[in-house]
Amino acid sequence: MTDLLSNLAMGFGVALSGMNLFLCLIGAIVGTLVGVLPGVGPLATIAMLLPITFGLPPVGALIMLAGIYYGAQYGGSTTSILVNIPGEASSVVTTLDGHQMARQGRAGPALAIAAIGSFFAGCVSTVLVAALGAPLTSVALMFGPAEYFSLMVLGLVFAVVLARGSVIKAVAMVMMGLLMSMVGSDIETGQSRMAFDVPELSDGIGFIVVAMGVFGFAEIMRNLEQESSRSIVHAKLTGLMPTWPDLKASSGAIMRGTMLGSILGILPGGGAVIAAFAAYTFEKKMAKDPSRFGRGAIEGVAAPESANNAASQTSFIPLLTLGIPPNAVMALMVGAMTIHGIVPGPQVMTKQPELFWGMIASMWLGNLMLVIINLPMVGIWVRLLRVPYRLLFPAIIIFCAIGVYSLNNAPFDAVMTALFGIIGYWLVKHDFEPAPMLLGFVLGPLMEENLRRAMLIARGDPSTFVTRPISGGLIALAAFLLVLAVLPMIRHKRDEVFVESEG
Amino acid sequence: MSEGVQASPGVPRGGSRIRDPRDFYGGLALIALGVFALWASRDLPGMHGFAFGPGTAPRMFAIVLIGLGAVIAGMGLITEGAAVERYEIWGPALINLAYIFAVSAQTFTYKMVALALLVLGLILSIIGLMGPKRNLVRGPLFITLSVLIFAVAIRPLGLVIASYCSILAAAAATPEVRWLEAIIWSAVLSAFCVLLFPIALNLPLQLWPTNLSWASLLSFR
Repeated sequence: MTDLLSNLAMGFGVALSGMNLFLCLIGAIVGTLVGVLPGVGPLATIAMLLPITFGLPPVGALIMLAGIYYGAQYGGSTTSILVNIPGEASSVVTTLDGHQMARQGRAGPALAIAAIGSFFAGCVSTVLVAALGAPLTSVALMFGPAEYFSLMVLGLVFAVVLARGSVIKAVAMVMMGLLMSMVGSDIETGQSRMAFDVPELSDGIGFIVVAMGVFGFAEIMRNLEQESSRSIVHAKLTGLMPTWPDLKASSGAIMRGTMLGSILGILPGGGAVIAAFAAYTFEKKMAKDPSRFGRGAIEGVAAPESANNAASQTSFIPLLTLGIPPNAVMALMVGAMTIHGIVPGPQVMTKQPELFWGMIASMWLGNLMLVIINLPMVGIWVRLLRVPYRLLFPAIIIFCAIGVYSLNNAPFDAVMTALFGIIGYWLVKHDFEPAPMLLGFVLGPLMEENLRRAMLIARGDPSTFVTRPISGGLIALAAFLLVLAVLPMIRHKRDEVFVESEG
Repeated sequence: MSEGVQASPGVPRGGSRIRDPRDFYGGLALIALGVFALWASRDLPGMHGFAFGPGTAPRMFAIVLIGLGAVIAGMGLITEGAAVERYEIWGPALINLAYIFAVSAQTFTYKMVALALLVLGLILSIIGLMGPKRNLVRGPLFITLSVLIFAVAIRPLGLVIASYCSILAAAAATPEVRWLEAIIWSAVLSAFCVLLFPIALNLPLQLWPTNLSWASLLSFR
């Protein structure tokens, strides 16, 4: 316990230093901005800003990038409630009841409860990250290459199972990502693989290129297809303070949302989006009068908003302890750590404690800043929504282009990003989820390295993955989940086929 | 404009045997990608005793991908699904590939291939722009052109010119563009970029043209 307190004290010392505090603030503001503006997400933003963080010290860079992620969860609720357009995928669910409350003139309490719920969830999950750090790290130290490989397989299976669409397509996306990650130089022999003698590809396709292309450019191409029309609720924001009955009603929802969000954030494949949806569904099932949902029930705002904040912070746990990214945003963080020369894994906590505890402390500080940014300054954010998309997207494109170019002074990289934008656009049109691909792409080199090492140690015997106890357990869990996910799909597809042939 | 989005069972298209075109063509593309990967890694050594060679893992995953692609394409034939939302990316895709070929080409034939791809891509794009689907081509095409202009211009012409032309090209990607506004906004944005990237963030970027010659303009990298 005293260990924990002294570590936290050190963490606060790091987080409160001028530079880190400033970067945390920037992350929070940019995150809120990105959350408020529809069409720009934290994934694309983090990818865009990664090259810029080169000049910054590693702790500061990660603090800022983390701030963007959980800041976006706060900002997304603003647009959901006021404009009925989700600023973030994780705030889709908030539009259901939040906007109804705004229509009833209760936008103020809705926004306030969203912020309060998010803050509470942020505090709780910060404590969780601190508490679970040490135990998980000691577990991870028992891992050998076979266990790491199986853990990554489990992580990818989770990501596939929890993905929105078809399981098989998600697995195919993971395979595609793994395959693409093998372009470049082989780790062990140094031989050039699938690079066609192009010097820019000799180190592989940069993951920022893929991330910016598939999530940034493709998103812009999609948005450009639809004409944008936004109608802002002009009702004056009278009272910002929620009433006492409001607070009582939402306290239960906030607790449940926080709990659910914390768990789902840790699980690979989880993350803020799934947490928000799950919390809303759960809250509706638990309610005494479910028909209130969708008509302005305050629990429908409190639960998902707490859940998405809790999840966005607890998803740092697998990253900081095991070095495994549980979702696409964390995959980018792995990349950020690698760029700054930090090897993600259990040794981060022991070799760079100021990074680990500094990040935890700054998460709590970030949440505090965000409540201040979001509540009194709501008016400013709403005014930003009036910026037309036709002015916004060229800015995104040029920032991405310059950012990618500045990584390696290679114009080739910028064009590759545009190519991946087209690929990402194609993927979405064909109902393929791009996030598993990014996860596969980031985990590919690690997986291959561990696979090869494990096979070498086991002298070419593939059964080592199931005979070693921890590894075997992980693989069994992965197989079980996969079967669980595929079964209903087979039944459903069968129904579709039978309906079609009878009809 | 765009038709129904998510995978709700669509209206059966009379006479068409491909019931879910998204899955079918998607699966085919994945098979093609797997085959391409197999071809690209054909000269890599495989397993040597116990050790994985550089070619083992790519070939393994490529084969799995081909298998999955076949399953998905098969599902596309059997189960009902929504029609593919319309899109037009061949023109811009070919233009992108043309640049990549031009940069990586070492022999004369490959450079000719690059030129051919560029011409083909431009023709397809222009046809698309004149046709009914012009709003669908516009987005990907001008974004591609914008990035290409940046890539070609940044070294010889410097950040100011490259970013200005690039932003202006990007602004054309939306049918809602207003040209006077776009010209002014591009100037504002490129000034902001100059303030942000080289000055505030200390990135090593040239601002103005340096050795301007045909050689440097045509080298593309």
